[in-house]
Order: sequence, then C-alpha cells, then structure tokens
Amino acid sequence: MNKSQGAALPASPPRWGLGGIAPRSRFTELSLLVWVGALAVLGFVAVVGAETSSFGSASIVVPAIFIVLVLSLHVFLIARRFRGDQVLMPIAAGFTAIGLVLVQRLASDLLLQQLSWTIIAGGAFAATILIPRDLTALARFKWTWAFLGVLLLVAPLFPIIGREINGARIWVKVGPGSIEPWEAVKLLLVIFFAAYLEEYREVLSRSQRRIGPFPIPPIPYLVPIVAMWGIAMLVMIFEKDIGATALFFGIFLAMLFLATGEGFYAVLGLALLLVGGFVAYQLFGHVQVRVDTWLRPFDEDLRFGSGYQLVQGLYALANGGLFGAGLGNGMPDRIPVVWSDFVFDAFAEETGFAGALALLTLYLLFLYRGMVIALRAPTTFLQLLAAGLSFIIALQTLVIVGGNARLIPLTGITLPFVAYGGSSLVTNWMLVALLLRVSEVSNRMRGGP
Amino acid sequence: MTTPIAASIRSLTLALAIAFLVTSVGVSYWTILASDQLANDPFNPRLIAASNDRPRGAILDRNGAPLATSEKGATGFVRSYKDQSLAQVVGYASLQFGLSGVEAAYAESLIGQDPADPISIWRARYLGERQAAGSVVLGIDEKIQKAAVEALGGRRGAIVALDPRSGAMLASVSVPSFDPNEVVDPQRQQAAMDKLNNGPEHPLLNRAAQGQYPPGSTFKVVTASAALESGFDPTKKLRVDDPYQADRSWGDYFVRSASHAHGLFDMSDGFRLSENIYFAQVGLQIGGGKLAEYAKRFGIGTAPKLDLPAAKGQLSGSGLLDRPTLVADTSYGQGELLVSPLQMALIYATIANGGVMPTPHYATGVRDAEGHVVRQVAPGAQGQVISANTAKTLTTMLVGAVAGPGAFAFGAKVPGVDVAGKTGTAETRPGEAPHGWFVGFAPAEAPSVVVAVIVENAPEGGVTAAPLGAQVMRAALGK
Repeated sequence: MNKSQGAALPASPPRWGLGGIAPRSRFTELSLLVWVGALAVLGFVAVVGAETSSFGSASIVVPAIFIVLVLSLHVFLIARRFRGDQVLMPIAAGFTAIGLVLVQRLASDLLLQQLSWTIIAGGAFAATILIPRDLTALARFKWTWAFLGVLLLVAPLFPIIGREINGARIWVKVGPGSIEPWEAVKLLLVIFFAAYLEEYREVLSRSQRRIGPFPIPPIPYLVPIVAMWGIAMLVMIFEKDIGATALFFGIFLAMLFLATGEGFYAVLGLALLLVGGFVAYQLFGHVQVRVDTWLRPFDEDLRFGSGYQLVQGLYALANGGLFGAGLGNGMPDRIPVVWSDFVFDAFAEETGFAGALALLTLYLLFLYRGMVIALRAPTTFLQLLAAGLSFIIALQTLVIVGGNARLIPLTGITLPFVAYGGSSLVTNWMLVALLLRVSEVSNRMRGGP
Repeated sequence: MTTPIAASIRSLTLALAIAFLVTSVGVSYWTILASDQLANDPFNPRLIAASNDRPRGAILDRNGAPLATSEKGATGFVRSYKDQSLAQVVGYASLQFGLSGVEAAYAESLIGQDPADPISIWRARYLGERQAAGSVVLGIDEKIQKAAVEALGGRRGAIVALDPRSGAMLASVSVPSFDPNEVVDPQRQQAAMDKLNNGPEHPLLNRAAQGQYPPGSTFKVVTASAALESGFDPTKKLRVDDPYQADRSWGDYFVRSASHAHGLFDMSDGFRLSENIYFAQVGLQIGGGKLAEYAKRFGIGTAPKLDLPAAKGQLSGSGLLDRPTLVADTSYGQGELLVSPLQMALIYATIANGGVMPTPHYATGVRDAEGHVVRQVAPGAQGQVISANTAKTLTTMLVGAVAGPGAFAFGAKVPGVDVAGKTGTAETRPGEAPHGWFVGFAPAEAPSVVVAVIVENAPEGGVTAAPLGAQVMRAALGK
C-alpha cells in the first residue's frame, strides 16, 4: 500500500451530460434504499395507526416525500457517474427515516419542520458532492477553517446574536429561528486537524526527547494542541455546554492519536480533560448539577428537579424490556424535551432492547464503513479526514446514548441523524457526502467499482 | 519512522467498538435487568397510569377524617382532595405532573407497598399481585387546622402548629393555596398548572416549611440561649440609648429601638419590650462565634428532618458572623438571617421540651386496607440543644413577654392558661411592609402545642400576628 503524500489525484468527475457516457448503476445502494423506504412507511403506519387507529394521510405523504428525496439523491449520484461508497448513504437515510418516525411519534407539530430540514440536508449532501471539485483543496485553506471554526464557536457568546436555550449558550439567532454553530464547527475542525496533522505528524511523533516512555514533542508544535485544550475549557465555562466540550476535545485527541500513533497523547489528553472537569466541578454550578444528577438522580431532592428528565428516561428504558412496548404504545412523552435529548430512550421504550441494539449496531456499521474508507484513502490528509468524520458520528452516539442510559453524565449532544434538529441533520448529511467523496477518490485511483 | 496511520485507525476502531459493546450492556441493564424494579417505582408515571383502575390509598387526619381519597369516575379512579388549606402538604398525584407532598413522600405506602411490608412489595414485583392500598394517617387535627385557616383569614403567610413532645404537625397552613382537584383533572390540569407556576404568589410552595423569612425578634431566644449558656447574667442591667452604635467605626450605621428607649434593661425587660439594642449588646458581648454556634445548634442552615421538603434557612450570606454590625443585627433577628416558620416552631419546641428538639413529621402512621397499623411514624428526638435550666429560664421570660406589664405580645394571651411566646416584626425590603411574627407555646408549665405564625407584609408586624397565635392555641387546648 503506497501512501506517498501529495500523490497526484485523478481529475474530478465529469459534469452533467458531458461525454455521453452511460450512467453507472449503484445497485447495492438501491437495494438497501428499498429497505429504508419500507422502514419509513411501516414506521409511520405503526405510529399514526397507534395514535388514531386509522391510517391518516400523514402516514403516507411524509414517507412518500422522504422516499422521493432519497431516490433523487440516488439518481443524482448515478447521473454524476459517482463511484463512491454505496452503503453509507442508505444507512444515513435509515437513521433519518427513524428520526422522522420518532418526531411524528413524540412531537408531531415539529414534523413539518423536520421534513423541511431533511430536504435541506439532502440539498447540502448534493452540494457537498459537487463542491469543492478537488477535495485536497480543503487542506490548502486549513487556517481559514480553523479561524472560521473558532469564530463560529465563540459566536454564541456575542450579545445580540447569541442565545441561551435550556441553560446552554450554544445558539445563534438566524432570522426567526436559531442554529447551533457548533454543528458546523465539528466538520471544520476535522478538516483543519487532518490538514495540520498531515503536515506536522512526523515532527510530533518522531520526538527527539523522551521522559521515560513519554515522548516530549518540540514545544512550538505543542502550542496549537494546548490552545485547543484551552478553547475547549473556555467553551465549557462560558457556553455551559459540556457535551460540545467532550466532543471537541474527543475529536482533537482521536486525530492526534491517529496521526502520531502515540497512545500517550490520548492518555495525557484524557487526564487533562478529567483534571479540567474536576476543577470545573468545584467551580461551576452547572457542571456540579450535571455530575450530581448523574450520580444520584433518584435522590429525593433531585428526582423532581434536575434529575427529573433522566429519571423519566430510565423509566422509559425500563418499560422497553426485551422487545419494547411497540411503536406508539409506550409513554416516552413523559420525558421533557424527549424529541431532542432523549430520543434514544424513546426508541428503546417502544422497540425494546432488541431495537436499541439494532440501532447501535447500525451506528457501529456506519463507523466500520467510514473507517474502511479511511484505511483505503490514498493520502494522509484523506485518511485523517475520513477517520475523523467517522469518529464524530461514533463519539456523538456513544456520548448521548451513554448519557441517556446513565453510564456517563448527560449532555446535550444530538443522536446523529435521529434526534430532532436542523443544524445537526444538515451537517451530518454533509459529513456523509465528504466520506463518500473520499471513497470515490480511492475507487478512482484503484479503478475499483 | 512514524507508525502507519492504518494501525492507528484499526486501534481506534477497536476501542470504539468496545465502547459500543459497553454501552449496549449498559442499555441492557436498564431495559432488562432493572426493568421490574423501575416499572414498580411509585414515581413511574406508567404505574400511575396503570393504577387508574384501582384506588390509591386514602390520606387521613389524626381522627380519621379523609383528606384525600380515590373515587370512581367515568375513566377510572380519580383522586379527590377535601381540604384546600392542606394542598401543599397533602400534595397531588397527577399523571401529568407526578407526585408532590404526602402523595410523593408516602407514595409506596399509598399503593400498598410500604417499605415496612416487604412481602407486599415482593408479591407485587414478582407475582404481579397488588395489595389493596392502605392509608396514611397525618398528625393534622382538623379542628386546629380550621382554627389556623380562620386565624390567617386569607392573608399571605403561614401558620404551623406542632406537638413539642412528639414533633407531630397539628396544623399547617400556607396562603395562598390552590385546588389540587384541578391539578388532577385531565380537562383543567394544564391551565391550572400554568397558572400555579406563573404567578408571583407561588401557591405550590409550602410556606410553612419552605418559606424563608427574616425572623425578627422571635430569634432573640437564640441569642439569649447562647448568652445564658456562656455564663451571661440575665439580671445584669444594660444601658439602652436609641440610636445605638458600638463605636465610631460603624459610621452612619445604628441599631434602632422600636420604642425609642432610653434606660436600663435586663433580659426579661429585653424580651417583654422586645428591645433590639439590648440584644445587640448581648450579641456583641458573647461574640459572633458563640451566636453562630447556637444558631447552628438550633438548626439554622440545615433543613429540618421533615418527611416533606423543607428549607434550610441561613445564618448569613457567607454562613459566618464576621462583622460587628452583622453580629449586632443578627442578635435581634435581622442581618442576613432567613428561617422557615417550621424552623422557628422547632426552636420554641426545643424550649418547650426542656431543651430537647423533636423531629418534625406530618404523617404519624401507615395502615393497611383493613386498618391494621403497618408502621408508626415516630422519628423521636433530635437531641439536647440547650440545658433544661436554660429552657426553664427562657420559658419564664417568654411568659413575661406575653403577660408582663406593657408586654408587646399581649395579644397572644389565652384566658386561664400561661402562654410563653414572642412577637417579631421583621424588616423586609426597603419600601415593603414588615412581616409579622408570633411564635409561642402553651401551657407554659407543660407545653402541648407550639405555634408559629407569620403574616407577610403586615404593617403592624407582631401585633397583627400575636392574636392569631392565641386563636390557634385556644383551638389546640380546647379553650
């Protein structure tokens, strides 16, 4: 496997209709999408049926629009003679379908909004397939991405545009609604880290000095690393968003590890995070509340206060049992803001441990597929990019499901593709498009399928 | 040579896969292993929904009068609440909003699974057998409760009456109140709850145990206890000249006397005429450390071990008395002090009880469906706070504070009984009328009832509150 850096990449794919070449079939993708379509229809029929004992028009119209959307994306890829991965898009579509079913189940007045966001996400996916024409161009502007990322990260702190919702100041006002810039930041971060680490990985890992088994990298290269840690802590303190901090720092550590192969960095980073967390616990009320709620949500003083949401979520899980109460037959609506923070518990209540395990397996499959794309990518930048993007989805899933199941303190991270929320859905679909783009580069170089 | 990235990718993927495995195991714990236990948790709304088809246990007063019962309605059993004045105490059992009050604190008992009866719990959990629910008996006495409601007469505030010997709550009124029947009525519950949560009046708050007020002069017994037990001579006369400051370093800060007094005061005079300057000087003589120690011993800053939620109050913002002006102000019940009516009642119950503080409790017992006692609620005493001698000396002075010549608290007199008690007029925010307090007990020689009254924003302060205390004590003593 030759991974020489800066290998010349093949020319970008031909534009629409050029060359008169017959569109390339994507049979695997199509056959998987059939299952996704069935999932959407059955889910809506079950949920609407359980609520009204009749098959209302919503149970057909919404899945129909959804199916038309994913089929258009499929046709779009074929028409582009796109040669990238055929599995990730159907998995993401499956998650999105489950998300739409759950919005109908838990907050049907938000369904139209979520459907609109799904269409926008589809557009963002298509746009990311088209632009930029050359993926490596992303690496050239790495400092731009870093600057933009930090700017977006601190945007909610500015007075007029920033908004605090549910105690976290991570929102920016846009027109009548709000978006979470954090969601875009995670993509920018991965692109920046991939580019930065491609350039400096040699220096960072081939360290001249060691203390015992611990590598001590040259100081100038440590500066960005420590700066990242500092920014993560600032975000935690001022935006009161522990989930974003964990994710932000997690991405950073994972990519540092990927680039250098030094497990020590990951261990050191985790230790720093724990120290930072401990100090924050001592100093900041909102961190204390989170941790106390996690440790003893059933205590009398918490179960009707800060622990209420978590306890209701655990009741929902408990009601799930092995096979669930059945879609539409549980009581997950007792959980406050269930459609965004606790959608996993809602899903598990109605589909049981079996459903929850299936969902987790699907995320694991997404991770696996993404990591395979990373392994096959021709340049260090593309490898780091694909691995970092796949890691985001896995870490987000672990953090929110772990929080929902009281394995770790609860944070406001979204369950990728499934939880209600526009910013998250759009960026996650762009993430899928980027992964597909990386796989296409490898496939073209190998002349593979 | 740098480690190949491929190796790192594989290790990271493996680590994440293990994390997914651990997470799945965690999910299986809640969905399968802990499932039965949580499904039977009395706070689980699914259980409340499922118990729609069978009655919940009744909540009774000490004489068996029903306060909450389940009645069969069109769509299942509906909870019915009889006494609005006990809304915050009895609470509600709502599918929508969960449980509160006694409904929450004794939730297991009310579905026939009292912790003292493990066999029922076992049968319910593993055999699906449900015991017919028993009842929870409160210490509340309908007659005293009614007297307290009438005494307060709809003014914002609270009245607590408790038995100093057992700690049982005899009456508990918190105004404004609400109608819990609306909170459990599917048609009206949302509107009702929105109204309850969105007003400035906080009707859901049990002011009796959770309200936090400056105690004013009723707190002087704490200063006196600290002084008496530090060897301070109560007969020693101190010079009172209004306005007072200890030295020039206080600047333009003065302690004021309510009666603009000039003269010599001993401790009895201090209580009888409620002289702030006298107690400020006592506090400064014994020092902030001693005063803080006694406030802590009397439970200021610690939530009372009540069977319902209770506020802990505060000695000061920092928890310390570290400035002379703060010591002086705290000595007569102002400064940064905050207490609940229940805490004040407990302080006086300690004096009434020979220096031993009782543990307060609303419920006195749990019975099964046939009326047999499942469990007595009798938490016992919390311990000796002050010596029996100190308690006796204070009682004598508190009797003087009600019946002595020119006594401020004369309104609390009950014919034929010696009442020991103290009024308080607690300054609140500038521009707002003060809160009126009375806390006392009777009969002074063998106390069987302690009453704490607070009337929010009563321009006449303690003068307003004292006769309300008398009304409640009369009902309790049958006079």
